[in-house]
Amino acid sequence: MIIDYFDVLDRANQGPYIAEDDWDLEKVAMTTQKLVEKYKLEWDPDQIVTADPGLADVIFEAGLELAVEIGGYSRSTERILEFDRQELEAGMELMPRELVLGTGKDARTLFAREIGDERPPLIWAGNPGAPHPEHLFLPSVMSWAQEPIVDLITCGSLAEVDGREVRTGSPIEIVATRRELLYLRQILKRVGRPGMGMLAAQSSVSELGDLAVAHPDYLRPSDAHLVPMLNELKIDNRNIARAVNSLEYGMHNAALYCVLVGGLGGDAPGSAVVNVASFIIGNLTNHSDYQLLHPIHMRHVATSTRSVMWVESIVQQAFARNAPCIIVSDIYPKSGAMTRELLYETAANAIVITASGGHLEGVGSADGLKPNATGLECRLMGEVGRAVARQGLSLEEANEITVKLVERYEHVFEDPAGNPGVRFDQAYDLETLKPRKEWFRLYKEVKKELIEMGLTRLK
Amino acid sequence: MSEELIQQTQKAIVAGDEEQAVEFTRRALKADLSAFSILQGGLMKGAEIVGDKFETGEYFLPRLMMTGRALKAAMEVIEPQLKEEYASGEAQQDDTGVVVLATVKSDIHDIGKNIVSSMLSASGFEVHDLGVDVPIKEIVKKAQEVDAEIIACSALLTTSMPFMRDLMNLLEVMGERDRFRVMVGGASVSEDFARDIGADGTADHALGAVKLARSFIRDLRSNQGAAQ
Repeated sequence: MIIDYFDVLDRANQGPYIAEDDWDLEKVAMTTQKLVEKYKLEWDPDQIVTADPGLADVIFEAGLELAVEIGGYSRSTERILEFDRQELEAGMELMPRELVLGTGKDARTLFAREIGDERPPLIWAGNPGAPHPEHLFLPSVMSWAQEPIVDLITCGSLAEVDGREVRTGSPIEIVATRRELLYLRQILKRVGRPGMGMLAAQSSVSELGDLAVAHPDYLRPSDAHLVPMLNELKIDNRNIARAVNSLEYGMHNAALYCVLVGGLGGDAPGSAVVNVASFIIGNLTNHSDYQLLHPIHMRHVATSTRSVMWVESIVQQAFARNAPCIIVSDIYPKSGAMTRELLYETAANAIVITASGGHLEGVGSADGLKPNATGLECRLMGEVGRAVARQGLSLEEANEITVKLVERYEHVFEDPAGNPGVRFDQAYDLETLKPRKEWFRLYKEVKKELIEMGLTRLK
Repeated sequence: MSEELIQQTQKAIVAGDEEQAVEFTRRALKADLSAFSILQGGLMKGAEIVGDKFETGEYFLPRLMMTGRALKAAMEVIEPQLKEEYASGEAQQDDTGVVVLATVKSDIHDIGKNIVSSMLSASGFEVHDLGVDVPIKEIVKKAQEVDAEIIACSALLTTSMPFMRDLMNLLEVMGERDRFRVMVGGASVSEDFARDIGADGTADHALGAVKLARSFIRDLRSNQGAAQ
């Protein structure tokens, strides 16, 4: 049985009622805790990249069990969307294994990567969600779009247009999102890759901007946009509207899952179970063409903490082994431009994701909260990802290098001010769009360190 | 015996066990313990332990939420007697009060707000959590209705933060600014932003929000005392 959007809406209207608080605690938290105990799920902070196929399989089984037992939740109707195991499994069978983004010679094919896959991951550069003043938007995105290693691009959001602040739900969201797309299309032409695929419409949190750019002059059918699942295992009609709108237009739905590690799922194993269930449910409710994996640390936000990287690794492995699908994983380090730690965090995240079966998206430097990202860390992300694949780095080797890197940057999580670094224009020369000397020196030094740590095929 | 009952109440709160928390609170009242001593020695102490362990990463969100529920249920048991004790002067008002809490209009993120809500509840505040995507007029209206001392607003999205400024402006034009202490929070909310819009403060984590709320209450009560 194929679940279409009418089915999703019907189930959201007709499913059993439950108050949202009860959904959170009694359904998500309690059931996850029960499954963690049932399957005796544990994690070791020194085994960030786990080389234990049995653990990946049991995490998958627990996640599927969670999805079958509780389903999803519609915040719009306060009802449970129930699916039986057969429907969920049939949905997973239909998950795309290949997906073409972009057009012409610039098109790239995303594919379901395997664990230790020697085919390099695609490099999707940008810092989705990071707010930018308008004058910095174009040069920032140019800085990564111009990198030859980059396959696809994304971007932060415009925090203002023509000096006016962008407010969620206001008409300015439409203006901002269209302006964003105009800049992006201009950037693609300027870097000589007009057909490069994009994940965009980031300047609109509500569905307004998203719907307003579903037009060939803006976001093309060969591009992608976000269809987020809300924490945890929730959807709402506004987000379903995004997915439904793209069905006829043809845009690709990137189902975004930002499971909170330390949140309703508890510690890392429970959060991984919730993440697996989110993929399985969101595959149907969000009509996903590919899965965008972005667990968030409850306290530190960043994806570069031990527990978040463990979740990224085990979830990717779980799907690679049990239900192959396209997974793109986000890299959002704590640190920002012109800091050595940003480069360590980026490299660690890229190693974990690539070795475990994902494609790379980022870099949302400084937690994606500031315009403190540059093309240079995107370059490093791509170079590390390719080196991992080229070298055929085993899970054990990936873990060894990752742990060494974590030890070099973990102190940033203890600093209440974080480690945001500097704004884009302090790290790059705005006229030449080249990294400033000091920033480039740090990059060269960290690359040398990475080679010494065992990433020998890093060029 | 009385110390044992207080300890059992505290343990039930730490465990987030609603039934046990209610049961031991009832027993403690029957044993003629004052509501205030149960509150301070059992309920609050237990909540404090959970709050601390949550902040250090030892406990996770579900435990915090369960403790919030257990505390709320136990508070309902002691509330009538506690009010009498406050009225008779047998017990001193503590530094908790009434909070109206919401994620502002256009923002549907609720986890951060829920954590602060749970921590405030677990710390003894009377919390009116209005949920997410709440228009600022509704927030002010509720604060007036329940005679809140604190309005707490959350926004994760930078594009929702302007609604916090609107809230401050609305309070000003309504002549209600001095009636409430306003705290704002969310991943992108900084001290500079809070100061810029004229809010009374912000905190970068839930325990900090509780401390800030307590300081507001102490401040308000000392101002009231001085005025009297």
